[in-house]
Amino acid sequence: MYLYLPVALTSINILIPVGLGLAVGLLSGLFGVGGGFLMTPLLIMFGIPSTVAAATDSNQIVAASTSGTYAHWRVGNVDFKMGLYLLIGGFAGGLLGVQAIKVLKATGNADFAIKMTYVLLLGTVGTYMFIESLSSMRKKKVNDTVAPEKESGFSRLLKKLPLQTRFEKSGVTHSLLLPVLFGGFVGVLGAIMGVGGGFLMVPIMVYILRMPMHVVVGTSLFQILFNCIEVTFLQAYTNHNVDFVLAVLLLLGSTVGAQVGAVFGRRLKGEQLKVILAGIVLAVTVKIIFDLTLSPSLLLAQAGGH
Amino acid sequence: MRQARKSEAVSGKLTHNLFMMALLVMLGFVISERTASGELTARANHDHIKIDFFYHGSTVSVSGFSDAGADLIIKIASPEGHEVLKEKGKVAGFLWMNVATLKLENVPNLYSIHSTRKLEEILDQTELDKYVIGYPALGRHAEMGPVKDDEDKARWFSEFIKYKENSRLYDTSTGRIELKNMADGHQPYYIMTEWPYQAPPGDYVVTVYAVKDGKVVETAESKVLVEQVGIVNTLSNMAKKNGALYGIISIISALGAGFGVGLIFRKGGGAH
Repeated sequence: MYLYLPVALTSINILIPVGLGLAVGLLSGLFGVGGGFLMTPLLIMFGIPSTVAAATDSNQIVAASTSGTYAHWRVGNVDFKMGLYLLIGGFAGGLLGVQAIKVLKATGNADFAIKMTYVLLLGTVGTYMFIESLSSMRKKKVNDTVAPEKESGFSRLLKKLPLQTRFEKSGVTHSLLLPVLFGGFVGVLGAIMGVGGGFLMVPIMVYILRMPMHVVVGTSLFQILFNCIEVTFLQAYTNHNVDFVLAVLLLLGSTVGAQVGAVFGRRLKGEQLKVILAGIVLAVTVKIIFDLTLSPSLLLAQAGGH
Repeated sequence: MRQARKSEAVSGKLTHNLFMMALLVMLGFVISERTASGELTARANHDHIKIDFFYHGSTVSVSGFSDAGADLIIKIASPEGHEVLKEKGKVAGFLWMNVATLKLENVPNLYSIHSTRKLEEILDQTELDKYVIGYPALGRHAEMGPVKDDEDKARWFSEFIKYKENSRLYDTSTGRIELKNMADGHQPYYIMTEWPYQAPPGDYVVTVYAVKDGKVVETAESKVLVEQVGIVNTLSNMAKKNGALYGIISIISALGAGFGVGLIFRKGGGAH
Protein backbone atom coordinates (compact mmCIF):
# COMPACT_ATOMS: atom_id res chain seq x y z
CA MET A 1 0.00 0.00 0.00
CA TYR A 2 1.24 3.46 -0.89
CA LEU A 3 0.93 6.63 1.16
CA TYR A 4 1.59 10.19 0.03
CA LEU A 5 4.11 12.18 2.07
CA PRO A 6 2.94 15.80 2.34
CA VAL A 7 6.34 17.43 2.97
CA ALA A 8 8.59 15.10 0.95
CA LEU A 9 6.02 15.49 -1.89
CA THR A 10 6.36 11.90 -2.97
CA SER A 11 4.58 8.60 -2.52
CA ILE A 12 6.08 5.56 -0.78
CA ASN A 13 5.18 1.93 -0.19
CA ILE A 14 4.54 1.82 3.58
CA LEU A 15 6.45 -1.45 3.99
CA ILE A 16 9.71 0.38 3.14
CA PRO A 17 9.77 2.92 6.01
CA VAL A 18 8.29 0.45 8.51
CA GLY A 19 10.92 -2.16 7.58
CA LEU A 20 13.78 0.36 7.64
CA GLY A 21 12.53 1.63 11.01
CA LEU A 22 12.48 -1.88 12.44
CA ALA A 23 16.05 -2.64 11.31
CA VAL A 24 17.58 0.67 12.41
CA GLY A 25 15.57 0.65 15.68
CA LEU A 26 17.03 -2.78 16.45
CA LEU A 27 20.57 -1.40 16.08
CA SER A 28 19.59 1.56 18.22
CA GLY A 29 18.30 -0.60 21.10
CA LEU A 30 21.30 -2.93 20.86
CA PHE A 31 24.15 -0.45 20.59
CA GLY A 32 22.85 2.95 21.64
CA VAL A 33 23.34 4.61 18.27
CA GLY A 34 20.73 6.73 16.48
CA GLY A 35 21.37 5.06 13.15
CA GLY A 36 20.95 8.26 11.15
CA PHE A 37 24.07 7.30 9.31
CA LEU A 38 22.27 4.33 7.78
CA MET A 39 18.73 5.68 7.67
CA THR A 40 19.30 8.99 5.87
CA PRO A 41 21.07 7.55 2.79
CA LEU A 42 18.54 4.70 2.60
CA LEU A 43 15.64 7.16 2.58
CA ILE A 44 17.35 9.19 -0.14
CA MET A 45 17.77 5.98 -2.13
CA PHE A 46 13.98 5.48 -1.94
CA GLY A 47 13.32 8.91 -3.43
CA ILE A 48 12.98 11.11 -0.33
CA PRO A 49 14.68 14.53 -0.82
CA SER A 50 17.92 14.61 1.21
CA THR A 51 16.93 17.54 3.41
CA VAL A 52 13.60 15.93 4.32
CA ALA A 53 15.31 12.56 4.92
CA ALA A 54 17.74 13.98 7.49
CA ALA A 55 15.14 16.12 9.31
CA THR A 56 12.50 13.39 9.43
CA ASP A 57 15.02 10.83 10.63
CA SER A 58 15.80 12.99 13.67
CA ASN A 59 12.06 13.06 14.46
CA GLN A 60 11.93 9.27 14.18
CA ILE A 61 15.01 8.88 16.43
CA VAL A 62 13.12 10.79 19.16
CA ALA A 63 10.62 7.92 19.20
CA ALA A 64 13.17 5.10 18.88
CA SER A 65 15.45 6.51 21.59
CA THR A 66 12.49 7.15 23.94
CA SER A 67 11.49 3.53 23.49
CA GLY A 68 15.11 2.35 23.91
CA THR A 69 15.91 4.63 26.88
CA TYR A 70 12.74 3.44 28.61
CA ALA A 71 13.67 -0.22 28.07
CA HIS A 72 17.21 0.31 29.39
CA TRP A 73 16.06 2.51 32.29
CA ARG A 74 13.73 -0.23 33.56
CA VAL A 75 16.74 -2.47 34.14
CA GLY A 76 18.82 0.36 35.61
CA ASN A 77 21.12 0.91 32.66
CA VAL A 78 20.88 4.68 32.23
CA ASP A 79 23.41 6.98 33.95
CA PHE A 80 21.39 10.21 34.00
CA LYS A 81 24.17 12.22 35.64
CA MET A 82 26.70 11.27 32.98
CA GLY A 83 24.10 11.78 30.27
CA LEU A 84 23.37 15.30 31.52
CA TYR A 85 27.02 16.40 31.36
CA LEU A 86 27.44 14.84 27.93
CA LEU A 87 24.35 16.77 26.84
CA ILE A 88 25.73 20.07 28.14
CA GLY A 89 28.92 19.46 26.17
CA GLY A 90 27.00 18.25 23.13
CA PHE A 91 24.79 21.32 23.09
CA ALA A 92 27.76 23.71 23.28
CA GLY A 93 29.62 21.61 20.69
CA GLY A 94 26.65 21.77 18.33
CA LEU A 95 26.61 25.56 18.46
CA LEU A 96 30.37 25.66 17.92
CA GLY A 97 30.07 23.19 15.03
CA VAL A 98 27.53 25.36 13.21
CA GLN A 99 30.00 28.27 13.41
CA ALA A 100 32.84 25.99 12.31
CA ILE A 101 30.88 25.02 9.19
CA LYS A 102 30.63 28.69 8.19
CA VAL A 103 34.40 29.16 8.58
CA LEU A 104 35.18 25.88 6.75
CA LYS A 105 32.81 26.70 3.89
CA ALA A 106 34.56 30.03 3.44
CA THR A 107 37.91 28.27 3.03
CA GLY A 108 36.70 26.23 0.05
CA ASN A 109 37.31 22.52 -0.32
CA ALA A 110 36.30 21.73 3.29
CA ASP A 111 34.01 18.84 2.37
CA PHE A 112 37.04 16.79 1.43
CA ALA A 113 38.95 17.40 4.68
CA ILE A 114 35.88 16.75 6.83
CA LYS A 115 34.95 13.51 5.10
CA MET A 116 38.52 12.19 5.20
CA THR A 117 38.84 13.02 8.92
CA TYR A 118 35.59 11.25 9.64
CA VAL A 119 36.48 8.15 7.64
CA LEU A 120 39.88 7.91 9.35
CA LEU A 121 38.34 8.43 12.78
CA LEU A 122 35.64 5.80 12.23
CA GLY A 123 38.14 3.36 10.75
CA THR A 124 40.59 3.75 13.64
CA VAL A 125 37.90 3.51 16.32
CA GLY A 126 36.30 0.49 14.63
CA THR A 127 39.60 -1.37 14.24
CA TYR A 128 40.70 -0.62 17.82
CA MET A 129 37.35 -1.75 19.24
CA PHE A 130 37.37 -4.91 17.15
CA ILE A 131 40.89 -5.98 18.22
CA GLU A 132 40.40 -4.97 21.87
CA SER A 133 37.08 -6.75 22.36
CA LEU A 134 38.28 -9.90 20.56
CA SER A 135 41.40 -10.11 22.71
CA SER A 136 39.49 -9.51 25.93
CA MET A 137 37.02 -12.25 24.91
CA ARG A 138 39.99 -14.62 24.44
CA LYS A 139 41.53 -13.62 27.77
CA LYS A 140 38.31 -14.44 29.54
CA LYS A 141 38.25 -17.87 28.00
CA VAL A 142 41.76 -18.67 29.17
CA ASN A 143 41.46 -17.18 32.62
CA ASP A 144 37.97 -16.41 33.79
CA THR A 145 39.12 -13.48 35.89
CA VAL A 146 40.05 -10.18 34.37
CA ALA A 147 43.57 -9.09 35.16
CA PRO A 148 43.65 -5.64 36.77
CA GLU A 149 44.45 -3.21 33.99
CA LYS A 150 47.63 -1.22 34.19
CA GLU A 151 47.00 2.43 34.70
CA SER A 152 48.15 4.25 31.62
CA GLY A 153 49.66 7.73 31.62
CA PHE A 154 46.49 8.97 29.95
CA SER A 155 44.22 7.76 32.74
CA ARG A 156 46.59 9.15 35.40
CA LEU A 157 46.34 12.49 33.61
CA LEU A 158 42.53 12.27 33.62
CA LYS A 159 42.58 11.67 37.38
CA LYS A 160 44.52 14.90 37.89
CA LEU A 161 41.82 17.05 36.30
CA PRO A 162 39.78 19.22 38.70
CA LEU A 163 36.11 18.67 39.65
CA GLN A 164 36.44 14.90 40.19
CA THR A 165 33.06 13.34 40.89
CA ARG A 166 31.58 9.87 41.31
CA PHE A 167 29.16 8.55 38.69
CA GLU A 168 27.34 5.90 40.74
CA LYS A 169 25.44 4.16 37.98
CA SER A 170 28.52 3.67 35.83
CA GLY A 171 30.76 2.97 38.84
CA VAL A 172 33.44 5.41 37.66
CA THR A 173 35.04 8.59 39.01
CA HIS A 174 35.89 11.35 36.56
CA SER A 175 36.30 15.08 36.33
CA LEU A 176 33.04 16.77 35.31
CA LEU A 177 35.02 18.40 32.52
CA LEU A 178 35.54 15.05 30.80
CA PRO A 179 31.97 14.29 29.64
CA VAL A 180 31.46 17.97 28.82
CA LEU A 181 34.61 18.06 26.66
CA PHE A 182 33.94 14.79 24.85
CA GLY A 183 30.25 15.59 24.47
CA GLY A 184 31.36 18.85 22.92
CA PHE A 185 33.83 17.12 20.59
CA VAL A 186 31.16 14.75 19.26
CA GLY A 187 28.73 17.69 19.07
CA VAL A 188 31.11 19.68 16.85
CA LEU A 189 31.71 16.70 14.56
CA GLY A 190 28.00 15.87 14.48
CA ALA A 191 27.08 19.38 13.44
CA ILE A 192 29.74 19.43 10.72
CA MET A 193 28.98 15.96 9.38
CA GLY A 194 25.24 16.23 9.90
CA VAL A 195 25.07 13.05 11.96
CA GLY A 196 24.22 12.28 15.57
CA GLY A 197 27.65 10.88 16.36
CA GLY A 198 26.55 7.77 18.26
CA PHE A 199 29.23 5.73 16.49
CA LEU A 200 31.87 7.92 18.16
CA MET A 201 30.11 8.59 21.45
CA VAL A 202 29.71 4.91 22.34
CA PRO A 203 33.44 4.06 21.97
CA ILE A 204 34.37 7.22 23.92
CA MET A 205 32.14 6.13 26.81
CA VAL A 206 33.54 2.61 26.71
CA TYR A 207 37.26 3.32 26.34
CA ILE A 208 37.84 6.77 27.77
CA LEU A 209 35.08 7.10 30.36
CA ARG A 210 35.44 3.35 31.15
CA MET A 211 31.72 2.83 31.59
CA PRO A 212 30.23 -0.70 31.47
CA MET A 213 28.88 -1.52 27.97
CA HIS A 214 25.25 -1.99 29.03
CA VAL A 215 25.15 1.38 30.81
CA VAL A 216 26.84 2.96 27.80
CA VAL A 217 23.99 1.86 25.51
CA GLY A 218 21.23 3.22 27.79
CA THR A 219 23.06 6.48 28.53
CA SER A 220 23.90 7.06 24.87
CA LEU A 221 20.22 6.65 23.94
CA PHE A 222 19.21 9.11 26.66
CA GLN A 223 21.64 11.66 25.28
CA ILE A 224 20.57 11.05 21.66
CA LEU A 225 16.92 11.53 22.64
CA PHE A 226 17.52 15.11 23.78
CA ASN A 227 19.79 15.96 20.87
CA CYS A 228 17.16 14.79 18.40
CA ILE A 229 14.35 16.72 20.10
CA GLU A 230 16.41 19.89 19.58
CA VAL A 231 17.25 19.03 15.96
CA THR A 232 13.64 18.10 15.11
CA PHE A 233 12.34 21.37 16.48
CA LEU A 234 14.93 23.48 14.66
CA GLN A 235 14.35 21.59 11.40
CA ALA A 236 10.57 21.98 11.63
CA TYR A 237 10.76 25.62 12.70
CA THR A 238 13.44 26.99 10.39
CA ASN A 239 13.62 24.62 7.41
CA HIS A 240 10.09 23.09 7.32
CA ASN A 241 11.64 19.77 6.39
CA VAL A 242 10.07 17.29 8.84
CA ASP A 243 7.58 14.95 7.18
CA PHE A 244 5.15 13.89 9.87
CA VAL A 245 3.63 11.01 7.88
CA LEU A 246 7.04 9.55 7.03
CA ALA A 247 8.17 9.95 10.66
CA VAL A 248 5.11 8.04 11.89
CA LEU A 249 5.74 5.20 9.41
CA LEU A 250 9.39 5.00 10.47
CA LEU A 251 8.66 5.07 14.18
CA LEU A 252 6.07 2.29 13.85
CA GLY A 253 9.05 0.05 13.09
CA SER A 254 11.81 1.72 15.08
CA THR A 255 10.05 1.87 18.48
CA VAL A 256 9.41 -1.88 18.31
CA GLY A 257 12.91 -2.52 16.95
CA ALA A 258 14.47 -0.59 19.86
CA GLN A 259 12.61 -2.74 22.40
CA VAL A 260 13.63 -5.96 20.70
CA GLY A 261 17.21 -4.69 20.50
CA ALA A 262 17.27 -3.83 24.21
CA VAL A 263 15.93 -7.26 25.20
CA PHE A 264 18.35 -9.02 22.86
CA GLY A 265 21.27 -6.89 24.10
CA ARG A 266 20.68 -8.00 27.68
CA ARG A 267 21.31 -11.60 26.63
CA LEU A 268 24.70 -10.69 25.18
CA LYS A 269 27.89 -10.03 27.13
CA GLY A 270 29.49 -6.57 26.96
CA GLU A 271 32.40 -7.96 24.90
CA GLN A 272 30.05 -9.59 22.41
CA LEU A 273 28.14 -6.33 21.98
CA LYS A 274 31.41 -4.46 21.47
CA VAL A 275 32.69 -6.82 18.84
CA ILE A 276 29.45 -6.66 16.84
CA LEU A 277 29.37 -2.86 17.10
CA ALA A 278 33.00 -2.70 15.98
CA GLY A 279 32.02 -4.81 12.96
CA ILE A 280 29.19 -2.41 12.13
CA VAL A 281 31.42 0.66 12.53
CA LEU A 282 33.94 -0.93 10.15
CA ALA A 283 31.17 -1.82 7.68
CA VAL A 284 29.94 1.79 7.75
CA THR A 285 33.51 2.98 7.12
CA VAL A 286 33.82 0.67 4.12
CA LYS A 287 30.43 1.87 2.84
CA ILE A 288 31.53 5.53 3.02
CA ILE A 289 34.73 4.67 1.17
CA PHE A 290 32.68 2.93 -1.55
CA ASP A 291 30.31 5.91 -1.79
CA LEU A 292 33.27 8.21 -2.21
CA THR A 293 35.13 6.18 -4.80
CA LEU A 294 32.46 4.55 -7.01
CA SER A 295 31.28 6.61 -9.97
CA PRO A 296 27.79 7.94 -9.26
CA SER A 297 25.05 7.24 -11.84
CA LEU A 298 23.88 10.84 -11.62
CA LEU A 299 26.31 13.74 -11.47
CA LEU A 300 23.69 16.16 -10.19
CA ALA A 301 21.91 16.02 -6.87
CA GLN A 302 19.41 18.13 -5.04
CA ALA A 303 21.08 21.01 -3.23
CA GLY A 304 20.65 21.51 0.49
CA GLY A 305 21.48 17.98 1.62
CA HIS A 306 24.56 16.89 3.56
CA MET B 1 -45.87 45.19 -54.72
CA ARG B 2 -45.98 46.32 -51.09
CA GLN B 3 -46.33 42.68 -50.17
CA ALA B 4 -43.23 41.77 -52.15
CA ARG B 5 -41.23 44.59 -50.56
CA LYS B 6 -42.29 43.46 -47.09
CA SER B 7 -41.25 39.89 -47.76
CA GLU B 8 -37.93 41.13 -49.14
CA ALA B 9 -37.38 43.14 -45.96
CA VAL B 10 -38.25 40.15 -43.79
CA SER B 11 -35.91 37.85 -45.68
CA GLY B 12 -33.17 40.50 -45.51
CA LYS B 13 -33.57 40.75 -41.74
CA LEU B 14 -33.51 36.97 -41.49
CA THR B 15 -30.30 36.76 -43.49
CA HIS B 16 -28.78 39.43 -41.26
CA ASN B 17 -29.79 37.59 -38.10
CA LEU B 18 -28.51 34.30 -39.42
CA PHE B 19 -25.22 35.96 -40.32
CA MET B 20 -24.89 37.45 -36.81
CA MET B 21 -25.70 34.10 -35.23
CA ALA B 22 -23.13 32.32 -37.37
CA LEU B 23 -20.55 34.96 -36.42
CA LEU B 24 -21.32 34.53 -32.74
CA VAL B 25 -21.09 30.75 -32.99
CA MET B 26 -17.75 31.02 -34.76
CA LEU B 27 -16.46 33.54 -32.23
CA GLY B 28 -17.62 31.31 -29.39
CA PHE B 29 -15.89 28.37 -31.00
CA VAL B 30 -12.65 30.28 -31.31
CA ILE B 31 -12.78 31.54 -27.70
CA SER B 32 -13.68 28.20 -26.16
CA GLU B 33 -11.02 26.23 -28.00
CA ARG B 34 -8.32 28.92 -27.91
CA THR B 35 -7.06 28.12 -31.37
CA ALA B 36 -5.96 30.29 -34.23
CA SER B 37 -8.46 29.14 -36.80
CA GLY B 38 -10.70 26.70 -34.97
CA GLU B 39 -9.37 23.53 -36.61
CA LEU B 40 -7.27 22.28 -33.68
CA THR B 41 -8.77 21.45 -30.31
CA ALA B 42 -7.23 20.06 -27.11
CA ARG B 43 -8.75 18.68 -23.97
CA ALA B 44 -7.09 17.07 -20.94
CA ASN B 45 -9.56 14.55 -19.57
CA HIS B 46 -8.23 14.63 -16.02
CA ASP B 47 -7.59 18.33 -15.50
CA HIS B 48 -7.92 18.47 -11.72
CA ILE B 49 -5.68 15.99 -9.95
CA LYS B 50 -6.31 15.78 -6.21
CA ILE B 51 -3.43 14.61 -4.03
CA ASP B 52 -4.93 12.78 -1.09
CA PHE B 53 -3.41 10.42 1.46
CA PHE B 54 -3.38 7.46 -0.92
CA TYR B 55 -2.23 9.33 -4.04
CA HIS B 56 0.30 7.41 -6.12
CA GLY B 57 0.34 9.34 -9.37
CA SER B 58 -2.41 9.49 -11.95
CA THR B 59 -3.02 9.39 -15.67
CA VAL B 60 -3.86 12.27 -17.97
CA SER B 61 -5.16 11.77 -21.45
CA VAL B 62 -5.12 14.52 -24.03
CA SER B 63 -7.52 14.38 -26.94
CA GLY B 64 -9.05 16.61 -29.60
CA PHE B 65 -9.30 17.18 -33.34
CA SER B 66 -6.71 18.41 -35.73
CA ASP B 67 -6.61 19.33 -39.38
CA ALA B 68 -6.17 16.32 -41.65
CA GLY B 69 -2.57 15.60 -42.57
CA ALA B 70 -1.03 17.70 -39.79
CA ASP B 71 1.69 16.32 -37.54
CA LEU B 72 1.11 16.87 -33.84
CA ILE B 73 3.35 17.73 -30.91
CA ILE B 74 1.98 17.68 -27.38
CA LYS B 75 3.89 19.51 -24.66
CA ILE B 76 2.96 19.16 -20.99
CA ALA B 77 4.95 21.53 -18.79
CA SER B 78 4.96 23.45 -15.54
CA PRO B 79 5.70 27.19 -15.64
CA GLU B 80 9.40 27.98 -16.12
CA GLY B 81 11.42 28.51 -12.98
CA HIS B 82 14.89 28.05 -11.56
CA GLU B 83 16.70 25.02 -10.15
CA VAL B 84 19.72 24.81 -7.89
CA LEU B 85 21.64 21.51 -7.95
CA LYS B 86 24.91 20.16 -6.65
CA GLU B 87 27.55 19.01 -9.10
CA LYS B 88 29.54 15.91 -8.24
CA GLY B 89 33.12 15.72 -9.38
CA LYS B 90 36.38 13.91 -8.66
CA VAL B 91 38.59 15.27 -5.92
CA ALA B 92 42.24 14.17 -5.65
CA GLY B 93 41.65 11.96 -8.69
CA PHE B 94 39.49 9.26 -7.11
CA LEU B 95 37.00 10.66 -4.60
CA TRP B 96 33.51 11.70 -5.73
CA MET B 97 32.22 14.73 -3.89
CA ASN B 98 29.97 17.74 -4.31
CA VAL B 99 32.33 20.16 -5.98
CA ALA B 100 30.12 23.01 -7.20
CA THR B 101 26.60 24.39 -7.39
CA LEU B 102 24.78 24.50 -10.71
CA LYS B 103 22.07 27.12 -11.20
CA LEU B 104 19.53 26.89 -14.02
CA GLU B 105 17.02 29.54 -15.12
CA ASN B 106 14.01 29.26 -17.49
CA VAL B 107 13.55 25.54 -16.94
CA PRO B 108 10.22 23.92 -16.12
CA ASN B 109 10.07 21.47 -13.24
CA LEU B 110 7.99 19.09 -15.37
CA TYR B 111 8.49 18.80 -19.13
CA SER B 112 6.97 16.14 -21.29
CA ILE B 113 7.00 16.10 -25.11
CA HIS B 114 5.08 13.67 -27.31
CA SER B 115 5.04 13.84 -31.10
CA THR B 116 3.63 11.87 -34.03
CA ARG B 117 7.06 11.79 -35.72
CA LYS B 118 10.63 12.65 -34.70
CA LEU B 119 10.84 16.35 -33.91
CA GLU B 120 13.75 17.05 -36.24
CA GLU B 121 11.86 15.44 -39.12
CA ILE B 122 8.90 17.79 -38.86
CA LEU B 123 10.37 21.10 -37.65
CA ASP B 124 13.64 22.93 -38.15
CA GLN B 125 15.73 24.33 -35.29
CA THR B 126 14.36 27.88 -35.59
CA GLU B 127 10.81 26.68 -35.23
CA LEU B 128 11.67 24.26 -32.37
CA ASP B 129 13.50 27.06 -30.54
CA LYS B 130 10.63 29.50 -31.06
CA TYR B 131 8.21 27.20 -29.19
CA VAL B 132 10.85 25.58 -26.91
CA ILE B 133 10.03 22.08 -28.13
CA GLY B 134 12.43 19.21 -27.31
CA TYR B 135 15.49 18.87 -25.06
CA PRO B 136 17.97 20.60 -27.41
CA ALA B 137 15.66 23.62 -27.75
CA LEU B 138 15.12 23.69 -23.99
CA GLY B 139 18.90 23.53 -23.54
CA ARG B 140 19.34 26.59 -25.77
CA HIS B 141 16.48 28.36 -24.00
CA ALA B 142 17.79 27.67 -20.47
CA GLU B 143 20.34 29.87 -18.76
CA MET B 144 22.95 27.97 -16.78
CA GLY B 145 25.85 28.87 -14.59
CA PRO B 146 28.61 28.59 -13.79
CA VAL B 147 29.72 26.89 -17.05
CA LYS B 148 33.03 27.38 -18.82
CA ASP B 149 31.91 27.21 -22.45
CA ASP B 150 29.19 25.80 -24.72
CA GLU B 151 30.63 22.30 -24.45
CA ASP B 152 30.54 22.47 -20.65
CA LYS B 153 26.97 23.80 -20.81
CA ALA B 154 25.89 20.94 -23.09
CA ARG B 155 27.52 18.39 -20.77
CA TRP B 156 25.79 19.70 -17.64
CA PHE B 157 22.48 20.15 -19.44
CA SER B 158 22.52 16.50 -20.47
CA GLU B 159 23.28 15.60 -16.82
CA PHE B 160 20.30 17.78 -15.85
CA ILE B 161 18.07 15.83 -18.27
CA LYS B 162 19.31 12.54 -16.78
CA TYR B 163 18.55 13.83 -13.28
CA LYS B 164 15.05 14.94 -14.32
CA GLU B 165 14.25 11.75 -16.22
CA ASN B 166 15.39 9.75 -13.20
CA SER B 167 12.82 11.64 -11.07
CA ARG B 168 10.24 10.92 -13.83
CA LEU B 169 9.66 14.65 -14.33
CA TYR B 170 11.06 14.86 -17.88
CA ASP B 171 9.93 12.56 -20.64
CA THR B 172 9.75 12.39 -24.43
CA SER B 173 8.10 9.96 -26.80
CA THR B 174 7.59 9.56 -30.54
CA GLY B 175 4.67 7.81 -32.20
CA ARG B 176 2.56 7.32 -29.10
CA ILE B 177 -0.16 9.76 -30.21
CA GLU B 178 -3.04 7.72 -31.65
CA LEU B 179 -4.68 9.12 -34.76
CA LYS B 180 -8.18 7.77 -35.31
CA ASN B 181 -10.46 7.61 -38.32
CA MET B 182 -11.34 10.95 -39.86
CA ALA B 183 -14.67 12.48 -38.85
CA ASP B 184 -16.11 15.35 -40.97
CA GLY B 185 -12.70 16.24 -42.35
CA HIS B 186 -11.22 16.45 -38.83
CA GLN B 187 -8.59 14.10 -37.49
CA PRO B 188 -9.29 12.88 -33.95
CA TYR B 189 -6.16 12.27 -31.85
CA TYR B 190 -5.60 10.78 -28.42
CA ILE B 191 -2.73 10.10 -26.03
CA MET B 192 -2.70 8.59 -22.57
CA THR B 193 0.17 9.72 -20.33
CA GLU B 194 1.27 8.62 -16.88
CA TRP B 195 1.19 11.51 -14.42
CA PRO B 196 4.16 11.04 -12.05
CA TYR B 197 3.53 11.28 -8.30
CA GLN B 198 6.81 13.19 -8.14
CA ALA B 199 5.14 16.19 -9.84
CA PRO B 200 4.42 18.70 -7.07
CA PRO B 201 1.11 20.59 -6.71
CA GLY B 202 0.68 23.45 -9.18
CA ASP B 203 -0.70 24.53 -12.55
CA TYR B 204 0.47 22.65 -15.62
CA VAL B 205 -0.17 23.63 -19.23
CA VAL B 206 -0.87 21.18 -22.04
CA THR B 207 -0.07 22.72 -25.44
CA VAL B 208 -0.83 20.95 -28.71
CA TYR B 209 0.99 22.14 -31.83
CA ALA B 210 -0.27 21.28 -35.33
CA VAL B 211 2.61 21.17 -37.82
CA LYS B 212 2.41 21.40 -41.62
CA ASP B 213 5.24 21.90 -44.09
CA GLY B 214 7.85 22.54 -41.42
CA LYS B 215 5.82 25.22 -39.63
CA VAL B 216 3.63 25.30 -36.55
CA VAL B 217 0.29 26.28 -38.08
CA GLU B 218 -1.93 26.12 -35.04
CA THR B 219 -1.75 25.71 -31.28
CA ALA B 220 -4.36 24.76 -28.70
CA GLU B 221 -4.07 24.77 -24.93
CA SER B 222 -5.57 23.02 -21.97
CA LYS B 223 -4.69 23.05 -18.26
CA VAL B 224 -4.03 20.47 -15.58
CA LEU B 225 -4.34 21.59 -11.97
CA VAL B 226 -2.65 19.49 -9.30
CA GLU B 227 -3.77 20.21 -5.77
CA GLN B 228 -3.30 18.75 -2.29
CA VAL B 229 -6.53 18.01 -0.44
CA GLY B 230 -7.63 16.76 2.99
CA ILE B 231 -5.04 15.66 5.58
CA VAL B 232 -2.19 16.04 3.08
CA ASN B 233 -3.13 19.69 2.54
CA THR B 234 -3.60 20.36 6.27
CA LEU B 235 -0.20 18.87 7.20
CA SER B 236 1.62 20.52 4.33
CA ASN B 237 0.18 23.95 5.17
CA MET B 238 0.95 23.54 8.84
CA ALA B 239 4.56 22.52 8.14
CA LYS B 240 5.03 25.64 6.03
CA LYS B 241 3.05 28.24 7.97
CA ASN B 242 3.21 27.07 11.56
CA GLY B 243 6.59 25.37 11.88
CA ALA B 244 6.89 25.75 15.66
CA LEU B 245 3.55 24.09 16.44
CA TYR B 246 4.18 21.45 13.77
CA GLY B 247 7.59 20.70 15.31
CA ILE B 248 6.16 20.43 18.82
CA ILE B 249 3.36 18.11 17.66
CA SER B 250 5.92 15.94 15.81
CA ILE B 251 8.12 15.70 18.91
CA ILE B 252 5.25 14.97 21.31
CA SER B 253 3.88 12.30 18.97
CA ALA B 254 7.31 10.67 18.78
CA LEU B 255 7.79 10.79 22.57
CA GLY B 256 4.28 9.39 23.07
CA ALA B 257 4.81 6.60 20.55
CA GLY B 258 8.20 5.64 22.04
CA PHE B 259 6.85 5.62 25.57
CA GLY B 260 3.64 3.84 24.54
CA VAL B 261 5.51 1.03 22.80
CA GLY B 262 7.78 0.77 25.86
CA LEU B 263 4.72 0.28 28.10
CA ILE B 264 3.22 -2.31 25.75
CA PHE B 265 6.46 -4.29 25.80
CA ARG B 266 6.68 -4.13 29.58
CA LYS B 267 3.19 -5.60 29.86
CA GLY B 268 3.80 -8.11 27.12
CA GLY B 269 7.39 -9.15 27.78
CA GLY B 270 7.84 -8.60 31.51
CA ALA B 271 10.89 -6.92 33.04
CA HIS B 272 14.06 -8.85 33.62
